[in-house]
Amino acid sequence: MYGKSLLVGAALLPGLAVAGHAKEDWPEPVKEYYTGQVLFDRLELTRTNEEENLAVWDMMAWYGGDYHRAVFKSEGENVQDDGEPTDLESAELLYGYLVSPFWSFQAGIGTRGTLSSDASMENYAVVSFMGLAPYWFEMDNSLMVNEEGDVQFVSETEYEWQLTQTSYLQPRIEFTANLTDSDKYERQSGLSNLRVGLRYRHEISREFAPYIGVYWNGALGNTADEMKRMGEDTTETGVVLGARVWF
Amino acid sequence: MSNEFNKGRRKFIKSAFTVASALAIAKVAPTWAAPQGRSFKDQILTNDEIDLTIAKSPLLVGNKVGAPITINGQMPGPLIRLKEGQRAKLNVTNRLSEDTSIHWHGIILPENMDGVPGVSFEGIKPGRTFKYRYDVEQNGTYWYHSHSGLQEQLGHLGPLVIEPKDGDIGADREHTIILSDWTFEDPDTVFRNLKVAEGYYNYQKRTIFETFEDVRQQGLEKTWKQREMWGQMRMSPRDIADVTGSTYTYLMNGRDSQMNWSALFKPGEKVRLRIINGSAMSFFDVRIPGLEMTVVAADGQPVKPVPVDEFRIGVAETYDVIVQPKQNKPYTIYAESFDRSGYVRGTLTPELGLEAEVPELRQVPERGMAAMGMGAMAMSGDMKGNSMNMKHMGGNNSHMTHKMTHKKELPVENIKIKHRESGHGAGAAMIATNPVSRLHEPGIGLEDVDHKVLVYTDLVGAHEWPDTREPERQIELHLTGNMERYMWSFDGSKFTEVDGPVQFHHGERLRLVMVNDTMMDHPIHLHGMWMELENGQYPRPRKHTISLKPSEKVSLLITADAPGSWAFHCHLLYHMKAGMFRVVNVA
Repeated sequence: MYGKSLLVGAALLPGLAVAGHAKEDWPEPVKEYYTGQVLFDRLELTRTNEEENLAVWDMMAWYGGDYHRAVFKSEGENVQDDGEPTDLESAELLYGYLVSPFWSFQAGIGTRGTLSSDASMENYAVVSFMGLAPYWFEMDNSLMVNEEGDVQFVSETEYEWQLTQTSYLQPRIEFTANLTDSDKYERQSGLSNLRVGLRYRHEISREFAPYIGVYWNGALGNTADEMKRMGEDTTETGVVLGARVWF
Repeated sequence: MSNEFNKGRRKFIKSAFTVASALAIAKVAPTWAAPQGRSFKDQILTNDEIDLTIAKSPLLVGNKVGAPITINGQMPGPLIRLKEGQRAKLNVTNRLSEDTSIHWHGIILPENMDGVPGVSFEGIKPGRTFKYRYDVEQNGTYWYHSHSGLQEQLGHLGPLVIEPKDGDIGADREHTIILSDWTFEDPDTVFRNLKVAEGYYNYQKRTIFETFEDVRQQGLEKTWKQREMWGQMRMSPRDIADVTGSTYTYLMNGRDSQMNWSALFKPGEKVRLRIINGSAMSFFDVRIPGLEMTVVAADGQPVKPVPVDEFRIGVAETYDVIVQPKQNKPYTIYAESFDRSGYVRGTLTPELGLEAEVPELRQVPERGMAAMGMGAMAMSGDMKGNSMNMKHMGGNNSHMTHKMTHKKELPVENIKIKHRESGHGAGAAMIATNPVSRLHEPGIGLEDVDHKVLVYTDLVGAHEWPDTREPERQIELHLTGNMERYMWSFDGSKFTEVDGPVQFHHGERLRLVMVNDTMMDHPIHLHGMWMELENGQYPRPRKHTISLKPSEKVSLLITADAPGSWAFHCHLLYHMKAGMFRVVNVA
């Protein structure tokens, strides 16, 4: 058979790129694996204390291997029946690299604004640290710099209490801080916003899990002062009905 | 068996499904798994050549029709019986639409006959026949399976029994039992689920109500202490099996519990059970309530008899046990998945149609501090009561007494373990800070059972092995992984990340030291050469597959007498696919 030629082949090609498999035209015994996922962490209808109805999404999609991934993240909302266009809170395209067992570093570009033809979008560069902190806190921390040089930091943290094998109680906290004032985008420096939510989620399957929840959203610091000056409410509460879906 | 015959039979099976599926039921268990088993004086038909045809055909698995990969129309494949000293002539024909292969697990043979695509040959292309030829120089219980992709999960496996030269099976009758785990999901989907959604198949996680209950019973401080380490490590003490009974149907000779595979005996007969774990991912705890089992071989190699009530069989391991049922009544052969998410049972019975009581699944076990490589530290505290030596000393079971013999010091206990200074990179979520020998432990979930469970330190080789040299060289390998991204590797590097084989020098005597830097059990398999387990016994038992518990360190002696390239990997199928695979080159 070809056993002998195999040995000769192995001896002649000691520097094979692969971990010691013997012939170049043979398949790899184990290949690098690439896959992807689209995950809507929040896909929900919200009823606010102002009796507004909102459709909200918060999603992430990725493709890649264990270390390198292309990541797309997006958040936004649409006030129902108000005739106004959708508010895109973020759409980001990032490159992610696994820097430690539980954390990936991501860098890329993003855009946000009102999805109408006449609106100008705010474009920005973004870096994120995304991963799992000790005690299973799932975190995504992002630092954004827009074309004007305005710097903003957004941190999201989620936790899960396992109620049964298929149901969870999930607190969520998100805060925004502006490191600079921005005239153009009417942002005041300092901690500007805090959003706290609690969801009860039940898995129909691992991939599809409807939930109900509540949230509280409040403006803080200079941002709150400014809103008060303008006669706006600085806080908002609401109930949500939605689903966590991935495929 | 000829190919023609098989083709005819496949056609028959297909038409049986379209016409009358009831007919097909008769075909679900492989024909060799007949209840009669084999008696001592049965003649073996070692056909000069054995033809095996690999195809995909619908078969009833449990109560549903699945699409397994069949070998000669069967899943598991036919029982191949060879005789020590003969030349094996096995012609494998691929009727799949993709490449396939057969690896003869545990058989010592030339490297180009080992059947690992990319290491020993190029694989078998669709429509092609590969002729395996090798001299059979051993005897015992082994198995064979595909080494291509995830085909093993689809049932591409079967038992391989090699009769000793003198034909003595050491019993009046024998039965071969191959355990496997079947899923109706596509194995590629299973793998992707593991990759993208950690804990996808685990429906036994700790709930907040259990935490409340613990706080109520033992106070907040103690509960916090128990949870603290797990929380810091972002791991779960209930993470025992990656793929569980939530998707698996566990099979015994291709039959589920409902179908109750039955094996006949006559009261008073000595029955040899050749038990093979042909699962992709499942460790089993095997017992026959009411019957003592005497372990006489491990991984096909004879050991001095050890009477036990239960044994854990890692993936790809085999054990031969002798039982002697004296009463004229049925006994349940019970194989429980080690995470307690499911089981399969069969029946050892004096006549067909009988069944015995089926035990309940036991409580879901939890990993203790020892799993984190804090064994020595944790044992000094309040966990001492769980230390198994203590527990078993209290036992009044007579054959448990040999447990109390003082634990011998093993070579591995004096070996200093080296970790890379930086850890093992992002691919390794954990490092066993204080790995210990755990060969004397029965394993998770069996620490506190009130009967005798086999442990690795019970195994004593039946005779000396040819090479009695002391090792000249030592190789250390760490088992590493990252559950979050389902990365599995050696020394933090997946197969695709290493740039060369593990080098053995031809003819040398080696000590292989392995350290399990993960929270999972791993059955590690070396192709082409035996591994003598340094378990403090002499003669040492020799193994083709050795299971490591979390944070365990183990040493094995290897005679590098098989030139060529050999696969070395974790035998959990999805761990292998994820990168826990190396090539060993002997030159």
